[in-house]
Amino acid sequence: MNESVISLKSGTVALPSAPRAPRLCPALRARLRAAGALADRHIAWALPLLLLLAWELSTRLGLIRPLFLPAPLAVAQTFHDLLVNDRLWLDFTVSVVGVLRGFVVGTAGGLLLGFMAGASRTVDRFLGATLDSIRQVPPLAWLPLLVLWIGAGSLAKTVIIAKTVFFPVFMNTLQGIRGVAREYIEVGRVFGLGRAQLLRRIVIPAALPGIFTGLRFGVGLAWATIILAEMLGGRQGLGYLLTRAQELLLTSQLFVVIVIIGAVGLLIDKGLRRVEARLLHWKKGFEG
Amino acid sequence: MVTPPTVPPRPTAADRDAAVELRARQVSKRFPARRGGDPLLVLDHVDLDLRHGEFISIIGASGCGKTTLLRVMAGLEPDFTGSVELGGRPVTSPGPDKGVVFQDHRLLPWLTVADNVGFGLLNRPAADRQRVVEKYLRLVGLQNFARAYPGQLSGGMAQRAAIVRALVNKPRVLFLDEPLGALDALTRMHMQRELERVWREERVTVLMVTHDVEEAIYLSDRVVVMGSRPGRVKKIIPIPVARPRSREHPDFLAIKKELLTTFSLEAREYFSYEI
Repeated sequence: MNESVISLKSGTVALPSAPRAPRLCPALRARLRAAGALADRHIAWALPLLLLLAWELSTRLGLIRPLFLPAPLAVAQTFHDLLVNDRLWLDFTVSVVGVLRGFVVGTAGGLLLGFMAGASRTVDRFLGATLDSIRQVPPLAWLPLLVLWIGAGSLAKTVIIAKTVFFPVFMNTLQGIRGVAREYIEVGRVFGLGRAQLLRRIVIPAALPGIFTGLRFGVGLAWATIILAEMLGGRQGLGYLLTRAQELLLTSQLFVVIVIIGAVGLLIDKGLRRVEARLLHWKKGFEG
Repeated sequence: MVTPPTVPPRPTAADRDAAVELRARQVSKRFPARRGGDPLLVLDHVDLDLRHGEFISIIGASGCGKTTLLRVMAGLEPDFTGSVELGGRPVTSPGPDKGVVFQDHRLLPWLTVADNVGFGLLNRPAADRQRVVEKYLRLVGLQNFARAYPGQLSGGMAQRAAIVRALVNKPRVLFLDEPLGALDALTRMHMQRELERVWREERVTVLMVTHDVEEAIYLSDRVVVMGSRPGRVKKIIPIPVARPRSREHPDFLAIKKELLTTFSLEAREYFSYEI
């Protein structure tokens, strides 16, 4: 079929024609490809949008009672009401500031002790067993005791969050420092660096990727923990709003708060990722 | 029939002593025993002198202790017996007067090429540092890559950066531990020419470990052949071929043959079978 055929009439060689696939004009093809690329870039939005659509429709068509699943538009209305007529903004700031405060304290402690334990085996042995024991008790298990000692105020929250952030930061800093390749240490020695210089110019930069993993992990955990802490005790914060909505059977308020919690968590992680990308731009690895 | 290369008259002991830069005397090194076995003797009473400005290569089968000898002489191995002296002073630790280039380039990935090359100069004023770094980058043709990161360089480029990083401090001795071992054959030959040029321009004393006989002959004033288990100096062969050297020169080929013979005898002992 595709072989060359010598036409008897003209005596010229008829070249085999290209396989007969449906051919699009180049402009259309380019446009399709561009659309494909666009779709690929925004693929993350497709599933949530579809779910949202199905959700709105199912409630509107009366398939599900709004008590169980209020329609998205109703949730949006509730969001507006909560923000304008209720205390959503206050609770939002309480949670965010609470996390920030605990995060700063926990990170500072984790970095400091992590560096010290990383730099000195003695410090590591001195702290190791104690910290490991404390670590085994989940942050929220400390809550009753803390409430007893210092009440259910913002100080208790700060302590809980600081504890939550401390351990991932501490452990990743320690491991990051211990995991610095001997080869790099040797480079430092070849240039005659003293201990302080070695730490500053070789060990810390090399440990930075590990430290960042700890930070990101810690802050994610902290955000989840503060919500839980507020649900368990306290009269303020997004977690408290959840409990209140639950008790009053205000399902659409539940949704508002859940969406906010998710969005804030996502923003925190994206922000840290961006800082990381800028700080660790030299790092190359598997990019998927 | 190849005529053996002519060896120049040996200088007197006094001549040699006057110009000796780096000296190892009766250096022995053991690695600690594993699971109750005997400690492994890696170096057995090694003597080696490097004259000022000389290029010396150590060759030997893998595992013969040549890298250990280099590391001891560079001050990177703390426990050894015997003595190593640089310019008459005992070597006890690494330092800026002893430049080291490793087989893997070991550039720091978080620093630019320029900052890597200037790593040893941080105590100098910035302008001074920049001038020196620029000069050395130019020396190895990397001036356009000053702001690149090591991850963006090819193997040969990274190794060139590593070589000048070791040179910026004007070390008295440059230690090269199989510096071209990880490169492909063509890049390697190119880098050998480059290395010779840098050595000539910098007038630095070089101790290089390699397993490549041709590389050793091409670059060295003298080639040290090491035997294994325990590592000792088996033979020191001067290379009296005029530079720049041609790999096809009859003298070059004769020495290569001699070295390969020594080498394969050694390897036969080492592997205990014919090769």
